[in-house]
Amino acid sequence: MDHNKNNGSARTAGKKEFFLVRWVRRLFFPNKELDIYAEEQMQSPLRVVARNFFSKPIAVTALIVFILIALFVFIAPNFVTLDLGEQDSTLVFVSPGYSMLKVPAELEKNGVADIAVGNNFSVGADKEGNIYVWGKHKLTKVIDLADIPEEVKNAKIVKVAAGADHVLALDDRGTVYAWGNKRLGQTILPDELESNNRMHTFGIKEIHASNQFSVVVTDDGRVFTWGNDNLADIDYDAETYDGHVVSAAVTNFTYVILLDDGSVSIGGFSPKFTVQKIPEAVKSGVKSIVGTSNTIAATMEDGSLVIWGAPTKGENNVPAFSSPIKEVAGGRYHLTALLEDGTVVSWGGNRYKQIEVPKDIGEVENLYVGSFQNYAVDTDGSIHTWGLKGFLLGTDGLGRDVFARLVNGGKMTMTIGALSVVIEMIIGIILGGIAGYFGGVVDMVVMRIAEVVSSMPFIPFAMILSAVMGTRVSVEQRMYIIMVILGILSWPGLCRLVRAQMFAQREMEYVVAAKALGVKEKKIIFSHIIPNVMSVCLVSITLAFGTSMLTESSLSYLGFGVPLPTPTWGNMLTGANNSIIIQNYWWNWVFVGAIFGLACICINLIGDGLRDALDPKANGR
Amino acid sequence: MKKYLLKRIVYLIIVFFVVSLMMYMIYNLIPSDPALVQMEPLRKSLKPEEWTRQYHELRAKLGLNDPLIVRYARWMGFAKDVNGSFNGLLQGNFGYSISYKRNVIDLLGVPMQNSIILNLISTIITLAITIPLGIYCAVHARKAMDSGIQVFTVIGYSLPTFLIGILFIYIFAVLLGWFPTGGAKTPGSTYTGVMEFLDRMHYLALPTLVLVFTGLAGMTRTVRAAMMDTLSQDYIRTARAKGLKEKVVIYSHAWRNALLPVSTSIMGWMIGVFTGGSLVIENTFSLNGTGRLYISALNNTDYELVLAMQMFYTLVSLIGVLLTDLSYTLVDPRVRIDK
Repeated sequence: MDHNKNNGSARTAGKKEFFLVRWVRRLFFPNKELDIYAEEQMQSPLRVVARNFFSKPIAVTALIVFILIALFVFIAPNFVTLDLGEQDSTLVFVSPGYSMLKVPAELEKNGVADIAVGNNFSVGADKEGNIYVWGKHKLTKVIDLADIPEEVKNAKIVKVAAGADHVLALDDRGTVYAWGNKRLGQTILPDELESNNRMHTFGIKEIHASNQFSVVVTDDGRVFTWGNDNLADIDYDAETYDGHVVSAAVTNFTYVILLDDGSVSIGGFSPKFTVQKIPEAVKSGVKSIVGTSNTIAATMEDGSLVIWGAPTKGENNVPAFSSPIKEVAGGRYHLTALLEDGTVVSWGGNRYKQIEVPKDIGEVENLYVGSFQNYAVDTDGSIHTWGLKGFLLGTDGLGRDVFARLVNGGKMTMTIGALSVVIEMIIGIILGGIAGYFGGVVDMVVMRIAEVVSSMPFIPFAMILSAVMGTRVSVEQRMYIIMVILGILSWPGLCRLVRAQMFAQREMEYVVAAKALGVKEKKIIFSHIIPNVMSVCLVSITLAFGTSMLTESSLSYLGFGVPLPTPTWGNMLTGANNSIIIQNYWWNWVFVGAIFGLACICINLIGDGLRDALDPKANGR
Repeated sequence: MKKYLLKRIVYLIIVFFVVSLMMYMIYNLIPSDPALVQMEPLRKSLKPEEWTRQYHELRAKLGLNDPLIVRYARWMGFAKDVNGSFNGLLQGNFGYSISYKRNVIDLLGVPMQNSIILNLISTIITLAITIPLGIYCAVHARKAMDSGIQVFTVIGYSLPTFLIGILFIYIFAVLLGWFPTGGAKTPGSTYTGVMEFLDRMHYLALPTLVLVFTGLAGMTRTVRAAMMDTLSQDYIRTARAKGLKEKVVIYSHAWRNALLPVSTSIMGWMIGVFTGGSLVIENTFSLNGTGRLYISALNNTDYELVLAMQMFYTLVSLIGVLLTDLSYTLVDPRVRIDK
C-alpha cells in the first residue's frame, strides 16, 4: 500500500500532506511526464483524464469561465441584496448606466441658477441662461427631453421644473415653456398663460412639475394648473384663493398652496388624497412648503417642521437639527434640509442611499432635491451629488434592479441545478449500482422502473407535478419540490450508465479479491466499485447539471418553476416574452440571456472536453 | 420479430396503465370535490342537516366515496360507471373541460393539427439539412468550415429553446421585420385558398426556424460523430486501399452505415421536440397548439383536460420509444431481436 502511494507522487514521500491538497495537486499538477507504458502502471485513470482534459484549451477556458460565473452568482448576492417586495412605478424600464447624477461640467463652470429633478433625469439652468438635461432623458424612441425647443435654447432661462415625463422652464421675461411627453396635455399651457407668454402682463413666481401635471404660481397670487387631471387632483378654486397664493408644493397626485396669511390650504374644492387633509398646526405661521411623493413638509416661522400625508419610508422621522432650518427640499421618499450653519441633513427612504449626505461637503449655499437625487451647491460653486446614480443593468417592468435580480436569480438557478443533480446522482448511482452488481431479478425490477420513468414525457410531467404539488407551499418549499421533481425524473440515464459499468467491473480481480476477503457487498459496491466508475459518470453528471439548469429555467419560463417575485434566470426571461420588451427594453433579456447562455455553453464544452479526455481512442492507443 | 413486437406492445400497454394510474393518483391529490361544487348553491336554501344528507347522497351517487382504484377503473373504462355503463378513456370519453365548457375530445382537433404541422415541417427541414451537413463536417473534420459549424452547434444545443426563440424574434421579427412576432394568422384576415396557406406559412416560419435551429445543432453532432466513427472502420480503409474514389467510399460505403445509429436518435429527438420543445415554442410564439392548450389547462386548473393531454403525451412518447427500438432492428440487421 505504502509503496503505491509513494510512487504516485515522489514529493509526498517524506511527509504526508492533507488528503485534499494531495488530490488536487495530483490532479492538476502532475510532477512528471510518464511514457505510455510507465503511465499504464503508475498513473491513475483519473489523473490521465485530468491531464487530457487540461490539454484542451477550449475545455479549460470553458471551465474557467464557468467557475467565474459560479463564483460570481454565489458571492455577489451577499453584496447585492434583493428586496422581493421592491417595486417603484417611477423606475420602470430605466436603461442601464450611471448617468443620473452626471452634472454637465459647463453647468458647474457657469454657476447653477436652478436644478430640477424629474423621474430619472435632471434639468439644470446656469447663470447665463443656458439649459442642460442629463440622466435618462430618452423617454421613448420618439420623445427625448434633451430635444430642447429652439426658443428655449435662445431664451435666458432662470427657473426649471421637471415632472415625470415633461419639463417646464421659465425665462427672465416671465415666459413659461413646456416640452416632453404631450400625450396627456402636459405641455399644453392654459390660454391665459399662453397669452401672457406673448404680452407679459404678469410675472411668474414659481413653476412646479410633477407626475404628468404642472402648477404655476404668479406674482399677483394666482395659480394655473394643467396636465393629466384623471390621475391627479389639480382643481383650483380661483374665486376663493385668487390673489392670496404665495407658494405651492406638489406631490405625486395633487398640490397644496400656501396663502398670504401663513396658512396652508388645498387648491381645489374637496380633499381626495391624504395630503389634502390639512392639519390644524399649519393653519397659521407657515413660512414655506415642499412636497415628497405622498407627504407635505411645512417649515414654520419658529423653525420647526410639520409633516403630514402618507409617510411610507420614514419621511416624518425628522432628526434633531444643529441650527435652524434655512430651506427644505423633497425627493420621492426623502427630505433634505439645509440649515442656517450651512450643513445638510437628510432623512426618509434610503433604498438608493439618497439620505447619505457626503462627509466632505463644504458650506452649502443652495440645495436641489427630487426623486432619488440630491444636488448641493456650495459657496465655491461646485456641485456635490448623492442618491441614485442609475442602475448597472437597468430596471425591469416593475422598477426592479435587473442586476440584483440577475445575481440572485443566478444563485437560485445554479443551486436548483446542482441540488437536483445531487438527487439524481444519489438515486441513479444507488439503483444502478445495485442493479448492476446483483443482476437478475433486482436488475429487471430496477430497469423496468427506470423505463417507466424515462418513458414519461419530461417537461409536461414536471409541469403537472409542480402545478399539483406547488400550489399550497411557500416559495422555498416549492424550490425544493422542483429540485426533487427534476432529480426524480432524470435519474434513469445515469442509472443505466452505472449499471453497464458495474457489469464490467464486478468481474474484475479486485472485486473478486474483496469478495474473497469477506468484504460486505454494500461496501464492495459503494467503496470499491463506484469510485472506479465515477470518472465515467463525470461526463454524464456535468451534462446533467446543464440539463437541470435548462429544465428549471424552461419550467420557470413557462410559469411552473420557481414563482415570481423570486428571480431565477428562467422566470426573468418570462417577462421578456413580449415583442415590445424584446424591441425597446433590450436590457431586460440581453444580460440574463447572455450570462445564462454562456453558463450553458460552458457546461456543455466542459462535458465535451471530459468525454474526449475519457475516450481511450483519443490517447493514441 | 412478431414475438418481439407482441412482447413490446404488451409491455407498452402495461407501462401505459402504470403511468396512467400514477397520473390519476397525482390528479387525485388535488383537493377538488365535484359534489361540493354542485351542492354549494343549495347551501342557503336548505337546512344544514338536510344539506349534509343530500351532499353525502350525491357523493355516493357520483361514486366519490369509492376507493381510488375503483374510480381509476371507472375513469379508464374498466369498470362500470355509476350509471351502469362503461364510459371511460377506453370508450373514447376523454372527460369534460371545465374551463372551455366542452368535451375534451372536441378541443384537441385544431391544436393537434397545428402542432403536428409545425413539428412535421421542422423535422423534414432539419433532416434535409442535418444529414448532408453532418457528413460534410465529418469528411472535412477539424478544418475551418467544420470548426465554424461546430461553434454553431454548441450554441444551438446549449441554449434553451426559449432563449433562441427570443433571440430569433429580435433578429428576424424586430430588426429585419421578415416575420410576425407571434400568432397563427393575420388578425382579421379572410384569406382563402393559396393566400390562406401562404399566410399560415408566413406565421409558422419563425417558430419552424427556431425548432430547426435547435434540432440542427444536436442532430448535426450526432451525424458527424456517427460518420467519423464509420470512417475509422477497417472496411473503409479496405475500400480506400483497393483504390476506390473518395466519393464512392463516402457515399456508397460509409454514409449508409453511419445513418444507422442516427435513425434511432431521430425518433428520440422527435419525441423530445413534440413533448418539450414545441411546448416552449408555442408559448413563445403564441401558437394555438397542444403545448399551449396544456399550459392554459394547467393554469386554469382544468384537470380533466390536463389528464387527457398527459395521457396523450405519454402515449406519444411510449410509441416513440417502441418505434425507436423497431427502427433500430429494421435498419441494422446486425441487431438481432428474435431472442
